[in-house]
Amino acid sequence: MRRALIVAAAVAVAALLVIAPHRLNGYGLNLLYVTVLSVGLAYGWNIISGYAGYFSFGQIGFFGVGAYATGLLVADKGWPWMAAAAAGGVLACALSVPLGYVMLRLRGPFFAMGMFGMAQMVRVLVTAIPASGAGAGLFLPPGSGIVEVYYWTLAVAAGAFGITLWLDRSAFGLRLQALREDEQVAGTLGVDATRAKTTAFALSALIPGLLGGGYALFLTYIEPDAAFSSRLDLQSIVMAILGGVGTLWGPLVGALVMTQISEALWARFPQIYLMIFGGLLVVLLIALPRGIVPSVTAAIARRRAHAR
Amino acid sequence: MIVAQLAVNGILLGGVLALSALGFNIIFGVMRVVNLAHGDFVVLAAVFTVFAFAQLGINPLLVLPITIGAGFVAGALVHVLLLRRLPGEVASAEASSLTLTFGLSYFLAGAGLATFGGRFVSVPYLTGAYALGGLQIPQAKLLAFAVAVVLSLAFALVLRATRVGRAIRATSQNLDGALACGVDVDRVRTAGFAIGTAVATAAGTLMSFVYNLNVQQGVLFTVNAFAVVVIGGLGNYTGAVLGALILGLTESFASYYAGATLAEAAPYLLFILVLLVAPNGILGRRTA
Amino acid sequence: MSGPLLAVDDVSVAFGGVQALSDVSLEVREGEILALIGPNGAGKTTLFNVISGVLRPDRGDVRFNGSSIVGRPSHRIAKAGIARTYQIVRPFARLSVVDNVAVGALVHAPTIARARADAREVVRFVGLGALAERPASSLTLTQRKRLEVARALALRPKLILLDEVMAGLTPTEMDGMAEFVMGLRERGIAAVAGVEHVMRLVMRISHRIVVLDAGRRIAEGDPASIRTNPAVIEAYLGAPLAGA
Repeated sequence: MRRALIVAAAVAVAALLVIAPHRLNGYGLNLLYVTVLSVGLAYGWNIISGYAGYFSFGQIGFFGVGAYATGLLVADKGWPWMAAAAAGGVLACALSVPLGYVMLRLRGPFFAMGMFGMAQMVRVLVTAIPASGAGAGLFLPPGSGIVEVYYWTLAVAAGAFGITLWLDRSAFGLRLQALREDEQVAGTLGVDATRAKTTAFALSALIPGLLGGGYALFLTYIEPDAAFSSRLDLQSIVMAILGGVGTLWGPLVGALVMTQISEALWARFPQIYLMIFGGLLVVLLIALPRGIVPSVTAAIARRRAHAR
Repeated sequence: MIVAQLAVNGILLGGVLALSALGFNIIFGVMRVVNLAHGDFVVLAAVFTVFAFAQLGINPLLVLPITIGAGFVAGALVHVLLLRRLPGEVASAEASSLTLTFGLSYFLAGAGLATFGGRFVSVPYLTGAYALGGLQIPQAKLLAFAVAVVLSLAFALVLRATRVGRAIRATSQNLDGALACGVDVDRVRTAGFAIGTAVATAAGTLMSFVYNLNVQQGVLFTVNAFAVVVIGGLGNYTGAVLGALILGLTESFASYYAGATLAEAAPYLLFILVLLVAPNGILGRRTA
Repeated sequence: MSGPLLAVDDVSVAFGGVQALSDVSLEVREGEILALIGPNGAGKTTLFNVISGVLRPDRGDVRFNGSSIVGRPSHRIAKAGIARTYQIVRPFARLSVVDNVAVGALVHAPTIARARADAREVVRFVGLGALAERPASSLTLTQRKRLEVARALALRPKLILLDEVMAGLTPTEMDGMAEFVMGLRERGIAAVAGVEHVMRLVMRISHRIVVLDAGRRIAEGDPASIRTNPAVIEAYLGAPLAGA
């Protein structure tokens, strides 16, 4: 009975999300797009950082690669938008294999900083390609409507959720979490750590890559600060942490809550936006170190235990 | 003589980087916390120094004790009010403190932007240069280098000779041993963070009359400090000096031969290389 | 099966200038319980690390079922049939007790549901049934020790390396652990039990004993002969006992 209700609710939400763009005005659609984008990014980050335990401060690098690859394919080679965006994602994913080979040997803060550095280097390299327009940016010819890009982003975000659902329930997900808790012990219990983290890393690159492609199409103009936006990077991390790192619903809850706050802040206080966001992250970590979802789940469990 | 000139520039830069890295190293050594807000303290101190000079006419060297004091207090507050409140579970401690300082970094950069604005600034102090056998040695850089050396030695002395310093070193090298000797680890960590931040702000003041800086460049300095410390070996102070010199020289040469943007990538490249080839740094890590 | 199950040949390991193991050799036969004893720092854990693939020896070979396993990654060694427990227990803190054990069970189970079912059985077997869904971080030390054992059992190993499995247990608990180790004999699982102290219990449950001191093997034999071996006594007490 509960199952049926959940499925019905899910279908209703899905229907709403699909119909929405036709009912909303420009601002509303914008907000919806950004919300869905954030959900997707948060889920992507959550895979390598939450489930695998390799906190990364450089996933934006893959987003930027996806954005520029799509931009270049559409502007320079005249590719149809969907193929270009897909190619952006695939390229980011492919890049993650040699990058992961190098970076995944590092742990903890080294990996985090290493990824940050990696993202900066990727940015430098991408903007060094003359066709990318370097600092001046790249204009995309109009070829896709906002509505189509929204659906693309919705599909990717749903896919990211789906992958996380799989991670939460599957054997691979269990192995990954074991690896997160204690990589050495996981090894002596039969977990192929290298394969597991490489796969997680690839998934964590594919998602932002595909989303970046959509972003380029959405903006129709990309430049380094937008494609490799620290704001987006920080936001997705805060959202996942607020919601609950390494949980299934965490990124969704976090993104939903955060996007509204974020958009309101950005509209009102663009100057001190990053400051507020940074401060918020600090406060959150102290107040709700595990995030909303685990805190709520724990509270419910305690109520149930008392009731017995 | 361009090579020699670049080398001189690199060494002078290295001196100040070493001071900055010293602060970073202390915090990492004592608490195993990578302070991602490190560079923001450096840059804020620098910009503050510029304003003190521009608005009040105070000599940057006189601002030094102010920034050191402010850094000390700020560091202590950050530790007591924030870091100490994080849950102690081993699995998430590293990630939480990393993320906390990450958020702090954005907070400080934003606060700096709101307070001081986003322009590039520096203190126009000692703009002349000594000519030495065909080489130009900018006076400001030389002064910064000299003061950095003096301060580094002073802080090193504090670490070696004072009770607090010894407690800090003991806690970094052997936590259980230190606990067994009755060291109040929480207090030591606060002291470590306070000293580490004070050193960072000192470095910032020195940087203010050497470079054009803006408040949003904190990240660069954090990465530089991180690179230095990785190259030299975490917790290894002598290594950090060596690492700073290497980084300074690399940046100096890269800037000239490869252009500013690619030179920006230099610290990242170096530290990734070192992490892969010699993960414990060139001189190796002190046993933990 | 003709040769020994596990053969360690002249293994040497050094780190940071300290020779942790020097030319250590030993054999474990199928179904045999071997006690590996030695004072703290003798090299027992290092040897376990070498056998389980966590550490690569500088010299020497380790053969399991006839084939060399030196250089193989630890997950392959685990799948081949060697399980190990850790001296300082390291549970997967945020995972439930069942999930902790299911990780190992995945090696033999085709699906995760099957792995969890197998894991539940093992969890019940070690007496943690009531705590199955709790996070491992909520367990007491004794319970964690049992969890360590459960995780190792889930691998369906042919050989278990038990590192200081008695440490921190009360005498009653130790008896229980000894019973468990004897039970392994009945199930045909071989074990190497690393212990610091020469205990009556250890004497009772092992077939053979190997003694390590400062990285070297100083004695080997059945319990009775080890007890009176002067080299062993000296290693523990620092000097031969008068009249021993």
